[in-house]
Amino acid sequence: MNAIEIRNLSKSFRGMYAVDHLNMTVPVGAIYGFIGENGSGKSTTEKLICGHLVPEGGEIRLFGRDYTDPGVRVRVGALIENAGCFPGSSVYQNLRMQALNLNLANPDEEIRRVLKIVRMEEHAQLKFRKCSLGMKQRIGIAMALLGDPALLILDEPINGLDTDGMRIMREILVDITSNYGCTVLISSHLLGELEKIATHYGIIRQGRMIMEMSAAELEGRARVFVSLKTKDMAAAKAVLKAKFGDVREEEGYLRVYDVEEPETIVEHLLQNGHAVSEIRRNKIGLEEYYIELMSRKEDA
Amino acid sequence: MTHELRFESPSFVKRLKGMLGVDFYRLFHTPMYYIFLAIAAIIPAMILGTMGMENPQTGVAAAPLYTNVWHIIAAQKPLYVVSDIAEYANMNMVFIFGGIMVSIFIGHDYKSGYVKQLFTTHAKKIDYMLSKTLACAFAMACMCITYMLGAVSAGLLTGISFEVNVGSLLCALLGKIIMSLGWASLYTFLNIIFRRYFGVSIASSFFFGTGILIIGAAAILGNSSVLNIFLYGSSVYACLTSNLLTVAVCALVSVAWAVIYTLGGTLILSKCDVY
Repeated sequence: MNAIEIRNLSKSFRGMYAVDHLNMTVPVGAIYGFIGENGSGKSTTEKLICGHLVPEGGEIRLFGRDYTDPGVRVRVGALIENAGCFPGSSVYQNLRMQALNLNLANPDEEIRRVLKIVRMEEHAQLKFRKCSLGMKQRIGIAMALLGDPALLILDEPINGLDTDGMRIMREILVDITSNYGCTVLISSHLLGELEKIATHYGIIRQGRMIMEMSAAELEGRARVFVSLKTKDMAAAKAVLKAKFGDVREEEGYLRVYDVEEPETIVEHLLQNGHAVSEIRRNKIGLEEYYIELMSRKEDA
Repeated sequence: MTHELRFESPSFVKRLKGMLGVDFYRLFHTPMYYIFLAIAAIIPAMILGTMGMENPQTGVAAAPLYTNVWHIIAAQKPLYVVSDIAEYANMNMVFIFGGIMVSIFIGHDYKSGYVKQLFTTHAKKIDYMLSKTLACAFAMACMCITYMLGAVSAGLLTGISFEVNVGSLLCALLGKIIMSLGWASLYTFLNIIFRRYFGVSIASSFFFGTGILIIGAAAILGNSSVLNIFLYGSSVYACLTSNLLTVAVCALVSVAWAVIYTLGGTLILSKCDVY
């Protein structure tokens, strides 16, 4: 069973497709990184799953059930755009309202639990409007966590956070999935951060899903490269290009792609009179994979 | 907490109970509600307290607007064509302030984004419409009561006559309180239509709350009891000559419009994007 299964989902605004016959599969227990450029349809897809927007066509199933079924909806939590809290009410009051909405048996206990998860126990009585951006995002997650959700949908939860805020948020998300077994759908522009936690990825472009893969598959698909430094970079580049083909100069290093053994490169450079001052074997990360994939699509 | 993949559909009653819980919690924890209750009490007290005061320039006292306290609660007889302010300015004014209060109450759901939290979970659109209507009807009914308390207090202080047929007064009061339901459903409906435009929703609530359309219709049709089928008409019908039939008419009209507006609002929310 999949946590989310979407077939041919469509939604347009003023005649333009924001989501164009999208297909998507999120396995149960996954942290699904939802990637795409601005306006690619990530937020619209998430709002459609949450029932905030009315789809024009297609099917959304959550845990094998229709997405409008209250039985499954009661176990969905979301943080879309903002925390959705009343600014004049305290953190506790906002959580209390959501707990009432969910008919929780022990609301106070449950509020304490989620505040502990998001490390906000000390700030329960603080007015929401007085919270910092990082705190507001964490309160949004606490709201979404009330009532033991099986699925969490988070739209750019780490945007605008400082380094420490991002670290805390990352730890919270890992905690939620490993200790509470939630499936998480998370969209973000910060691919480096996403790469640290995601188990699956979906890449969306112009409202269409162009690729879905697991983190293991990404690892397999990601190209290896050797990065190195020499005195005469331009000459070394020409020498390497002649033998190895795909050689690029990036961030002050020469990158030789699809070569598994750095020794062959070193040997070839030495034969041609170039000493190597620094050398390292690498694999391209999610961000580079994404950029490469996008540029291939643009070329096509 | 252990995480199990079990999905149990909450019943309609459970869903509505949850939503009502949220709305009443919010109502009682927002200063706006108490401010509107106070406004409802102050307005009749202010009208009664200041009427008949001497003009400081001429030294002549103005003719009092009301000679009986209960006239500020309800008109002596159902007059849909308004010829002077004393016939118009009675407890029906609560439905104008109430409209503004409902607009602010519902508008904040959208402005804060809280509505997303509600609709992400199990809440259905009809639960939202029903809950908002019931909570706001309760708030407006409370405003009717504080309005009456304000009028009575001012009446005691100014020494105006309290003479009235108690049965008719109770029927008029009950009729007006019952009309809160219909009015609340209208304002909820208007706020759903204009959910993206906070200012327009307040303006539209104020416009319809004044009953200007019915007053206009009455100017053409005359003082016809046909106008009782409208919210403002029935609110006027609940006057100091009311009887149990008046209460029944008010209940019928109020519930009928509440059903129409609730279904209308539910349809809009179901067919259109939430925000």
